[in-house]
Amino acid sequence: MPMKLTKFTFASLTILFLVAPLIAILPLAFTSSVILTYPIPSWSLRWFEELFFADAWRRAIVNSLIIGTGTTLLATVLGTAASLGLRNRLIFFRGTIRTLFLLPMVVPAVVLGVGMQVLLAGFGLTNSYAGVIIAHTVVAVPFVVVSVTGALAGIDERVELAAQSLGASPTAVFRRVTLPLAMPGVASGAVLAFATSLDEVVLTLFVAGPNQRTLARQMFSSIRENISPAIAAAAFLFIAATIIIGLVVVLSRSMLAKRR
Amino acid sequence: MAEFIRFDRITKFYGPLCVVENLDLGIAKGEFVSLLGPSGSGKTTLLMMLAGFEQPTSGNILLDGTAINAVPTHKRDMGVVFQSYALFPHMSVGENVAFPLQMRGLGKAEIAERVARALDMVQLSALAERRPSQLSGGQQQRVALSRALVFEPRVVLMDEPLGALDKQLREQMQLDIRDLHRRLGLTIVFVTHDQSEALTMSDRVAVFNKGKIEQIGTPRQVYDEPATRFVAEFIGETNLVEGVVEAVEGAEANVRLTSGAQIVSAVSGTVAPGQTVYLSIRPERVDLTEIRGDARNCLETEVTDSVYQGDHLRVQLQNAAHPLIAKLGRRSREFPPGTKVYAAFSAGDCRVIVP
Amino acid sequence: MSAGLSRTGRSLILLAPLLVFLIGFFVWPLFSMMSQSVSDTAVLRLLPRSAEVLPGWDRKSRPTMPMQTALMEDLKAVDDDQALGDMVRRLNSARSGFRTLMSKTTSALGDPANPPADLVSIDKRWEKPEFWLAIADALSPLTDRNLLAAVDLGRNAAGDIEHLPADQSVNRVILVRTFWIAALVTFACACIGFPYAMIAASLHGWKRDLMLAAVLLPLWTSLLVRTAAWFILLQERGLINDLLQTLGLIDGPLPLIFNRTGVIIAMTHVLLPFMVLPIYSVLITIPKNLMPAAASLGAHPLRAFMRVLLPLSFRGVASGSLLVFISAIGYYITPALIGGPGDQMISSIIAFYATGSANWGMAGALGVVLLVATLLLYSVYARLSAEEPGRR
Ligand SMILES: Nc1ncnc2c1ncn2[C@@H]1O[C@H](COP(=O)(O)OP(=O)(O)OP(=O)(O)O)[C@@H](O)[C@H]1O
Ligand SMILES: [Mg+2]
Repeated sequence: MPMKLTKFTFASLTILFLVAPLIAILPLAFTSSVILTYPIPSWSLRWFEELFFADAWRRAIVNSLIIGTGTTLLATVLGTAASLGLRNRLIFFRGTIRTLFLLPMVVPAVVLGVGMQVLLAGFGLTNSYAGVIIAHTVVAVPFVVVSVTGALAGIDERVELAAQSLGASPTAVFRRVTLPLAMPGVASGAVLAFATSLDEVVLTLFVAGPNQRTLARQMFSSIRENISPAIAAAAFLFIAATIIIGLVVVLSRSMLAKRR
Repeated sequence: MAEFIRFDRITKFYGPLCVVENLDLGIAKGEFVSLLGPSGSGKTTLLMMLAGFEQPTSGNILLDGTAINAVPTHKRDMGVVFQSYALFPHMSVGENVAFPLQMRGLGKAEIAERVARALDMVQLSALAERRPSQLSGGQQQRVALSRALVFEPRVVLMDEPLGALDKQLREQMQLDIRDLHRRLGLTIVFVTHDQSEALTMSDRVAVFNKGKIEQIGTPRQVYDEPATRFVAEFIGETNLVEGVVEAVEGAEANVRLTSGAQIVSAVSGTVAPGQTVYLSIRPERVDLTEIRGDARNCLETEVTDSVYQGDHLRVQLQNAAHPLIAKLGRRSREFPPGTKVYAAFSAGDCRVIVP
Repeated sequence: MSAGLSRTGRSLILLAPLLVFLIGFFVWPLFSMMSQSVSDTAVLRLLPRSAEVLPGWDRKSRPTMPMQTALMEDLKAVDDDQALGDMVRRLNSARSGFRTLMSKTTSALGDPANPPADLVSIDKRWEKPEFWLAIADALSPLTDRNLLAAVDLGRNAAGDIEHLPADQSVNRVILVRTFWIAALVTFACACIGFPYAMIAASLHGWKRDLMLAAVLLPLWTSLLVRTAAWFILLQERGLINDLLQTLGLIDGPLPLIFNRTGVIIAMTHVLLPFMVLPIYSVLITIPKNLMPAAASLGAHPLRAFMRVLLPLSFRGVASGSLLVFISAIGYYITPALIGGPGDQMISSIIAFYATGSANWGMAGALGVVLLVATLLLYSVYARLSAEEPGRR
């Protein structure tokens, strides 16, 4: 059937288009050459060594971890608390507040970056970790809000009422019922917040100083200025981490599905 | 009987909507009271106010003589069973049942022992390790029940707890709950809109309509002596016939129907001669005879239709001015349409209702 | 009622931190960016005394003595050369000739040997009201100059709005280019994404999972990694050119990077998931038996598709397209790394004004244009997805 063949070809080509670039970059991480081209002359781990031991890259990785951790903590706490507050239908302007919480996802990063630089300069927070963490939190918090709100919406309110009637104080209801049930949402929100911070370049360009160069920022300028296979090594780590996190998420989902 | 729960002039508004209106109700210790009424009549709302999930707009709720309006839910000590069971999905059956005991700070050993006993009571000991999602509807219901009973609450509130079960299971659970009520001497407030459930299970039934109690009484009272037209029509099937009171003698009244026929009927309230009233006649109390017998009331009718319904025969009759329905036992003979018959019933099988 | 009140109070306490945080670090920055675009204190800051005197002037007559004295005092007090340069640039753009006039004046004022009595004695041009008019106008802390310049408009000497001369009209070209690239990418995504989503929705089991995983993997992968990957693939000696040359399809390497082709390819790859997922989520809600039902009613497959499936999936295509378009117009990284100078989009220009030339006014003004466009499109998108039956 020609129709079926057309469909098959189209789907295969699109999958190739989507996935091939990511796969093509992987072997280059292990090249011994200084240029990023095929064929690979011989295999070596020198670019991973570069990544972990060259000063610029190592500092960038450490910075990314510091800033990513800070962002994750701040965004998860703020976002989770706000999502809990948003549950109350009696809140005025609930819809508006919720839109405000999601808007940082929409506003172009460069626009936010310009404003952020002006503002943080006023506070004397440019070129500081605090400034970068704040900027990253602004764009990471919508992911936490979306994911926690989703998890909270899945909780049957009567379960919480039942807990109350069984003698649980509001704090106990929260600790023993609401939080455990919302935990998957909080966890995936935290993962997304970390990933957002890790990948954030534009805001970092605007608010970070040379001492807060993150891995993404370092990759950006190395692609721009002197591209080397260290990029491929970094990409390898990123993709491996993505797949591992993806697998963890899928596995924990299916474990959760069993539990429910 | 000493009053244990008292609703004292309770009114509840949701915005402009009056859901419960100036309601008074007393419930004795150890009593099983059903709240019965159509959808939206305020049953759940009343229960939620008793449990403390909602606050009355005005009026007081008294428990054992003290007002509990200001007592938060978790200190009211009432076991609530929801229609949806509301089990904790992230806890095993055992943990679910242990929860109220943990909240009361009991020791581990005692918790284990009481959980085991509570699960045993509903025959679920074997499933203690399972998650609620791995249970059938009936099993979940029994977990919810044992969770609400394990901490020996002062009152057990149930909001249509059997609504989601199929008929057979529901009847089994009705018997089980009744049995528990008797054995443990529980005070139970039970919401349902299934009248047969209310009649089989309760000591008393409160019939709700539009936020008010139309009648409260034993199942026999609300069925046999409906106080209002609403109760007569809502509980079971009835024939309602209009007429004018001619005379009242003690607990009986003479009523002239619009067709001219004279009926002698039992009266529970007060009526005066000349008043327009309804007569409620339960279809299963109507007898059909071909010759005029010696019954107190006897109406000349013609059969218009008759349907065999397994356990009974349902006959539609046309009296001069009123359609009537009679339900006859399955041993009764057939009445083909067109047959002229007499519909006979005693004065006690007939009630005067003031509209 | 007290329970309800305390619950609301508790909710507000939970909401407050994020609300305050976002107002402080999200709304406020956007506002300060907007105010940058309309604020112009370069002149006001340096000439505080003149700012007190000039409003009393009738804007027509010769400059009075107090005006001249005030300006002289102001100019003498200036010790920041860069700020002075900014001010002169600003005044010169309103009235040419200011640059020479100012340098002459400041050097005369800086000469302690013979202090000038008034400005007119330094240069006759100070007699003309036009120059004073330019200063008076520049003293206003608010300006629409940047916003107008962002769309290549300006005010002429009479104060009317008119097009800027062609040699200054770069922004409109870039705006048009931005929308054009975004439109091309959206179109490419729709052309690939719609059939792809349809095929995925029609499949079952592992085949469907594979097709979805192929969309999700890039979505979850770092944007930089994807851009780096395309950078490597598209280079002159990259995999694609190598492959084509080995196959003998081309003789020399194709120019794929630092040009429009590369930008479109890479952006399509990056944004394709945003097209596929909304369409897919609409398609799987359409009952499977709808097409056979239409066929059983006598509709030709193509007709059935046009009349049944296409209208139903319109909402998915519309939200997907809006999502892709909104993301595309704000893109920075991919054009910056893969594009050439002729492929830079509005974000790059904003970044250039902000970091390269520290022209915050222009950066803010272009930012306002981009922000407004984005928010307008987003409100359409939000309406579209809010109407979606049965979701959220
Ligand atoms: N939280 C609420 N806000 C506003 N109105 C409500 C609320 N809860 C209930 N109502 C309204 O109050 C009325 C009574 O509701 P209630 O739930 O008490 O009825 P019910 O007798 O339990 O009905 P059912 O048999 O359907 O459960 C209904 O009209 C309902 O719409
Ligand atoms: Mg109800």
